[in-house]
Amino acid sequence: MKKIKEYWKMFSMPAKIAALWLILICSMALLAGIITRYPCYIPSGSSLEPPSFTHIIGTDDLGIDLWAQICYGARTSLMIGFGTALLAGVGGSLFGIFAAYKGGWVDILMMRIVDMMIILPQLPLMIVLGAFLGPNIGNIVVVLALFSWTGIARIVRSKVLSLKQEKYVLAAQSYGASFFYIVKKHFFPSVFPLIMVGMIRLTSRAIVAEASLSFLGLGDPASKSWGMILHHALNFKGIYFTPYWKWWITSPLLAVLSVVIAIAFIGREIEKIINMKK
Amino acid sequence: MSQSILEIKNLYVTYKGEENFRALNNISFILRQGETLGIVGESGSGKTTLALTLMGLLDKKAHIAGEVWYKDQCLSDLPEKEREQYRWNKISIVFQNSLEVLNPVLTIYEQIYECLQRHTSFSREQMDTKVYELLQRVGLKRQWVKAYPHELSGGMRQRVLIAMALSCEPDVLIVDEPTTALDAMGKREIMDMLLNLQQEQGFSMIVISHEMQVIAQLTQRVGVLYSGYLLEEGPTSSVLKEPMHTYTRGLLSSAPILNPYRDLWGIAGEMHRENRQGCPFYSRCNQSIALCKEETPRFKIISAHRKVACHRGGIVTLLKAKNVKKQYVTENRKIQACKNCRLEIKAGETVVLLGQSGSGKTTLASILGGLLAPDEGDIYFQGEKVNGNNVTSKIGGVQMVFQDPFSAINEHFTILEAVEEPLHIMKEGTKEERKRKAIQALCDVSLPTTPGFLTIRCHQLSGGQRQRVAIARSLVTHPKVLLADEISSMLDPSTQANLLRFLKGLQNEKGFSMLYITHDIAVAQKIADRIYIMYQGEIVEEGNAWDLFSNPKHNYTKKLLGEGLARW
Repeated sequence: MKKIKEYWKMFSMPAKIAALWLILICSMALLAGIITRYPCYIPSGSSLEPPSFTHIIGTDDLGIDLWAQICYGARTSLMIGFGTALLAGVGGSLFGIFAAYKGGWVDILMMRIVDMMIILPQLPLMIVLGAFLGPNIGNIVVVLALFSWTGIARIVRSKVLSLKQEKYVLAAQSYGASFFYIVKKHFFPSVFPLIMVGMIRLTSRAIVAEASLSFLGLGDPASKSWGMILHHALNFKGIYFTPYWKWWITSPLLAVLSVVIAIAFIGREIEKIINMKK
Repeated sequence: MSQSILEIKNLYVTYKGEENFRALNNISFILRQGETLGIVGESGSGKTTLALTLMGLLDKKAHIAGEVWYKDQCLSDLPEKEREQYRWNKISIVFQNSLEVLNPVLTIYEQIYECLQRHTSFSREQMDTKVYELLQRVGLKRQWVKAYPHELSGGMRQRVLIAMALSCEPDVLIVDEPTTALDAMGKREIMDMLLNLQQEQGFSMIVISHEMQVIAQLTQRVGVLYSGYLLEEGPTSSVLKEPMHTYTRGLLSSAPILNPYRDLWGIAGEMHRENRQGCPFYSRCNQSIALCKEETPRFKIISAHRKVACHRGGIVTLLKAKNVKKQYVTENRKIQACKNCRLEIKAGETVVLLGQSGSGKTTLASILGGLLAPDEGDIYFQGEKVNGNNVTSKIGGVQMVFQDPFSAINEHFTILEAVEEPLHIMKEGTKEERKRKAIQALCDVSLPTTPGFLTIRCHQLSGGQRQRVAIARSLVTHPKVLLADEISSMLDPSTQANLLRFLKGLQNEKGFSMLYITHDIAVAQKIADRIYIMYQGEIVEEGNAWDLFSNPKHNYTKKLLGEGLARW
């Protein structure tokens, strides 16, 4: 708690606003059941109603409340964002640490796998995999994570390579320390800030990627995410010839953009603080 | 080999009193015709008792067991009357120089005259000429014959004492501390005179001294006496060059004359006087094992002409590297970092590996510490082959201290965590025990041990402090060998001086062996017992510090010494 307070003090104004915004969106997602009056799957008014007191930001073509959709969609989007970041962050850093620690041909082999992952055209493959595995949140997280761990793995590996030269690591090895001990005590505390920054970046990337997958129609049709809302809206024929886009497209778009920007601000700030500390 | 003139067999001397005190324990040695035997030892080791026993001058309170043979005659069985004939005529003694030895109311002439009167059957005239002849022989001018002892200088008194001892032309001369309290010139004169006299008259000598210089100059063989036990015996030159008993080595490193550059370090601890079981040197020895406490070691031959009383057969070799080769291959060339390197570290000594940067010192050290695998060659630690971290991952093994204190300690760790780490990894003891040991180690390196200090993160410490924490971390496992790789080179001169003195003091106290790697000749001269010179991956010269520095053989060493000593 004390540490969070310290960090908070070090945050600049935009970052503070961004953090507050993120907290707001998160609580919106958590409290979706309480702050919405209507369900997000069942029509609750006539179709394509403009914003009013009953439907704060209007309804879609089926007459389903958009506010409810945005709130529940925040759940899905954030879950995918954070889930992907966590999976890719943990997996990537373990991969990187292991490759660097073992060195030699293990390292070479593992890094070639990373190179391969990087040169693969991501979006087409994601589409293929998304279509192949079938659209549900779990699969989406896995597919997104599969293509985003490489960056973290490379950063972590280079850091661990330099840490490995440190005499204290040699000393610990000479005392008979196990791989896990060294990772836990020596590598992790130094690598953690890097993983942190990487994961924050991944979060926003994952949210955008999910949106783009959904936009292409490869999202989970049963789930409500911001991408899916956007997908539906854009598939409504002639949407730009009507005033409906003003609420139907703008609201999910703004949600995605604001969250991504907020995360970017926070990420930049944390990076700055970490650099300052060094 | 010439025949023995004096032989001592299993001599025990016990002073009777409220508590019996055994002054000499199972002493046996042989003195040959014309030979000079040295007896060295700290004060209280029984040297003078030995001299008095040989003379048969011990008082009645002393109980003597064992035999003293003069040629074919066993002296110890003789009644006092017959013993008298040998005393002074055959075996005489130059007493330790002091005013009390000479009768203050007799002149020099009278002193020597009295001596002759009592032990010989010369006529008056004969005795008169003899006195002058003796005085001339010991280089004392005629004018002093009428002087009283208090009018003479220390050197002159010593001459008078020698003249008295030689008055009856003895076969064996026992000289007790011939040069104490004399200045350098006086010492030299007395020693030269003794050598000359011995050459002229051919007597055998037993020189008792705690001065290594005297022993080195006068004697062919030397025995080391400690607490009434003979611990080592051998030819003087080889004993001085390569002591086999830890006590002998301790004596040598306390001798200023043998250590012109190096700091002096006495032997830690005090001599115990109580009679008890076990090795007499047990409490001060740095290589003692359980057996040493239980049983007194026998005095036995360990190599040609050398005898040592030690359960471990003399100073043990802890770390031994044989034919170590290491080659680094880069894309376009091969670098031979170590070519056939050979190195030995004995218990309790400071070995310096000296060489310029790039000579392969650190590579060799890393191989010794098991951090790097050699291409060829083996390293043995106490007979166990070094393989990876098998000797560094245990209590009482080998530990390494690194050059860069900033890299040696993880700065995220608190001081306590850093020092505890080896124990933590080795899973030694409980949490409290580990903490206690860590605090002890911090005490040893004279860092504070307040709870506030223990929880400081290491990045707040200065270089010198961090290096101490690193040393404490190594010491916490009670290593037998400490490999110190340029540990002071990144510190400022004052911190360096403090650290070096402190490390050497710690070594003296704890008794671990140290391999100190440096490019700094001045530092090497300050701390080295033995030195290895490394040049382009090869060990080009090795030897005793004083030997090597005063008499370098390899061209590179000569050059290095020329460069290293500052010309102001």
